[in-house]
Amino acid sequence: MVVLRAGLCPGLTEDMIQLLRANGIRTVVDFVSSDLEDVAQKCSLSYKALVAVRRVLLAQFSAFPANGADLYEELKSSTAILPTGSPSLDQLLDSGLYTGEVTELMGAPGSGKTQVCLGIAASVSLGLKQHVLFLDSTGGFTASRLYQMLQAQTEDEEEQLEALQRIQVVRVFNIYELLSALQELRDRLSQQVVSSMGPLKLVVLDSVSAVIYPLLGGRQSEGLALMMQLSRELKTLAREFSLAVVPTGIQVELDIGNGDVLEPSLVTPTQGL
Amino acid sequence: MTSGRLGGCRLLARLEGRSSLKNLEPYLFAEEGSPVHGDVIEFHGPEGTGKTEMLYHLIARCIIPKAEGGLGVEVMFVDTDYHFDMLRLVTILENRLAQGTEEMIKQCLGRLFLVSCSSSTQLLLTLYSLENLFCAHPSLCVLLLDSLSAFYWVDRSNGGESLTLQEMNLKKCANFLEKLVTQHHLILFATTQTLMQKSANSAESFLPLKLPHESDTDYRPYLCKSWQQMVTHRVFFSKQCNSGNSKDFTVVSCHLKRNQIVKRSFSVAECGVQF
Repeated sequence: MVVLRAGLCPGLTEDMIQLLRANGIRTVVDFVSSDLEDVAQKCSLSYKALVAVRRVLLAQFSAFPANGADLYEELKSSTAILPTGSPSLDQLLDSGLYTGEVTELMGAPGSGKTQVCLGIAASVSLGLKQHVLFLDSTGGFTASRLYQMLQAQTEDEEEQLEALQRIQVVRVFNIYELLSALQELRDRLSQQVVSSMGPLKLVVLDSVSAVIYPLLGGRQSEGLALMMQLSRELKTLAREFSLAVVPTGIQVELDIGNGDVLEPSLVTPTQGL
Repeated sequence: MTSGRLGGCRLLARLEGRSSLKNLEPYLFAEEGSPVHGDVIEFHGPEGTGKTEMLYHLIARCIIPKAEGGLGVEVMFVDTDYHFDMLRLVTILENRLAQGTEEMIKQCLGRLFLVSCSSSTQLLLTLYSLENLFCAHPSLCVLLLDSLSAFYWVDRSNGGESLTLQEMNLKKCANFLEKLVTQHHLILFATTQTLMQKSANSAESFLPLKLPHESDTDYRPYLCKSWQQMVTHRVFFSKQCNSGNSKDFTVVSCHLKRNQIVKRSFSVAECGVQF
């Protein structure tokens, strides 16, 4: 709900805003969806000026359509396939983890998801020499286990140390911390800050259900909205910055009881991902 | 935005340059000669039942040139889920074209327009800005939207207690889509997720008012009335549980005005949907 204000776009002056507001047009959506001839008459503003402002607002706030051929070209040059360190897993994933995609690992507790995540992190860091971001929401990340995996792959201590340094671990124990960490990542990647955090290719999130489950249940839909927001954030990060995002979770059917408007039961909380 | 005579000329150009889309996918429709321009088709079903795969199938049918068996028309794909998998589409094209060369594929992809939206407000504004694109490209007559229910929970949470506020954005989108479809003679395919399902242990008896197709597929409408009213065909997707069947997925296609129903099965292979 973007509210119209002076300076939002060239041509939108304070006087114009006051006149529009007096006629019930407060937000960008109101402006774009109203009949401009009508508005020009009622607010005694120039029709041409309104059309120009409308065009600029649309260009600023709407998404831009891309042509399929151009997109394909871009994808060919920016997509990379990251081997997971396990040949059979690679085969299952059609050669490995694709950047630009979210690959979810699902399984019952104790089925080995954290181990697979550590293995993938080790493989990408040591084998490909790319940076990894490991978001840990369960406290299940153990550096000693990771070191053990690296030791098994290479004898060189120097290499092992470098591989460990390329993996950044952030502990997040609720949804807000997680969203804030993802926002920080986005800011860093957008500004292309050259720091100890070099070229990032992999983001592991172990586990996503640990932060989502406390939000679900009861009558509020806020938890589901937050879950959708999280899934959207992961997908856009993967796509915009060509990262491979690997969340882990547990799949369970939830019955949220009688909702306000419609009748219940919601299937699979992780369906949004 | 165009008015009077100029609008009329453009409309004539659209209708003349327009080829029939009756052969788009006969298996999806209950009666012959569908779809026609102005139809709004809803794909409804739980996740993993082949809705997006069906959309890829339709895209491939549209963008492959007539010489190779397709329709050679332009397609606009609106992605609200960031779900669109270009590599999957390219695989389908490679399998369907006689010579799957890079040149051919790029030529086909040139007929596809893609746009991604991150919120229902952005979707609404994007639809407004797409109006110009439809005016400029008369042969662009197929609009695919995946999915319309992506913002349901977010909107519901943002709208607070008022149902009107919760549904407002979607209602505006539905109204504007209707306007686009009628004015520019488009065909709209939109997917919706089955977000609400009957619980497994509920002993509810069927309401007497339930239409025959609804009792079969357990359909619970949750999107706004404006959308419900503009849909002309509803296609229900479901996955087969019995392993003996070679076809994994089922569609039940309903023509809402004429109350005609047809049930078909399909499977998904490397080359896409196969009936």
